[in-house]
Amino acid sequence: MTQYKRVSGDAIEYNVFARKTRAEPLHQVGSVVAPDDDLAVAYARATYDEERWCEMAIVRKEHVIELWQPGEP
Amino acid sequence: MSLSDVVLSIADNKQMLGLRYAEWATRAPSLEADIAAAAMGLDDLGHSRVLYGCLEPLGADPRGTDRESDPASLRALAYFDEPWSEWAQFVAANAILDTAFTAMIEACVNGSVEVLQHRLRKMLMEERYHFLHGRSWLKSGISQEPLDRAWVEAVEWFGPPDGEVAALHREGKLSMGPDELRARLEEQLDTKSPTVKIDWKKWDPIRRRSRPGAIDERTFGMLRGLEEKKFAPSSAAAKES
Repeated sequence: MTQYKRVSGDAIEYNVFARKTRAEPLHQVGSVVAPDDDLAVAYARATYDEERWCEMAIVRKEHVIELWQPGEP
Repeated sequence: MSLSDVVLSIADNKQMLGLRYAEWATRAPSLEADIAAAAMGLDDLGHSRVLYGCLEPLGADPRGTDRESDPASLRALAYFDEPWSEWAQFVAANAILDTAFTAMIEACVNGSVEVLQHRLRKMLMEERYHFLHGRSWLKSGISQEPLDRAWVEAVEWFGPPDGEVAALHREGKLSMGPDELRARLEEQLDTKSPTVKIDWKKWDPIRRRSRPGAIDERTFGMLRGLEEKKFAPSSAAAKES
């Protein structure tokens, strides 16, 4: 049987964004965890492809610059 | 031998690849890989249906009645004969065999036969994600044995230099022959194929493989709908008889 662990130690978290029509803005539909960008693309498409999106994009979570978070003044 | 035989070979192989992928939908190394295995399995089963649907417009359907009773009449590669017991087998099939089938589909789409140009194009878009998945897992490092086997079976599947794939390429029906298909696979995977010595005299031009054998009995039963019948209510079985 498989010798691989089901949870990878060096995985990167990616946020997944999509929209159904050109008129609406991209919004976050979920996230995936993968060791590199290629696999993250494949995982995002496999996981969130149930809707007919006209656009989908992924962003490394660490690249998101937060201005403030919930609970902060 | 004709273009229909090649299309049927792609269809049978995609059907088996889809089934074998799906068997890993709860056993892959991560939840994301589970979902990708299921999604790629569905893609390839869908592709096989489209390819079977191309046989009639191509004018010759090579499927005989023996496909109902003889698993060796199916044209899938030996790599799919038994369920995979190691994740490395999944990755080698995903990276090498799936990409080899995609190269042949590219050759059909860029060839001169209209029905294939139109119906197979969408597959190339979907296969991009299979390729990214396979290539990325390949980079993570897996054992060599399934990789070597997948390379041999891919090169065998492309066929001999003087076979019908080469002839179809000369006629323009396929945009690539065996040498170009192999070069395309090497280019995609950014690696040279290992030295492969093939005794073409032992090669079966219908099944496009040298190894004897056939898919396992349970999988063959599932393809024929026999596995599902086990779970059908007895009233349904009575109605059928």
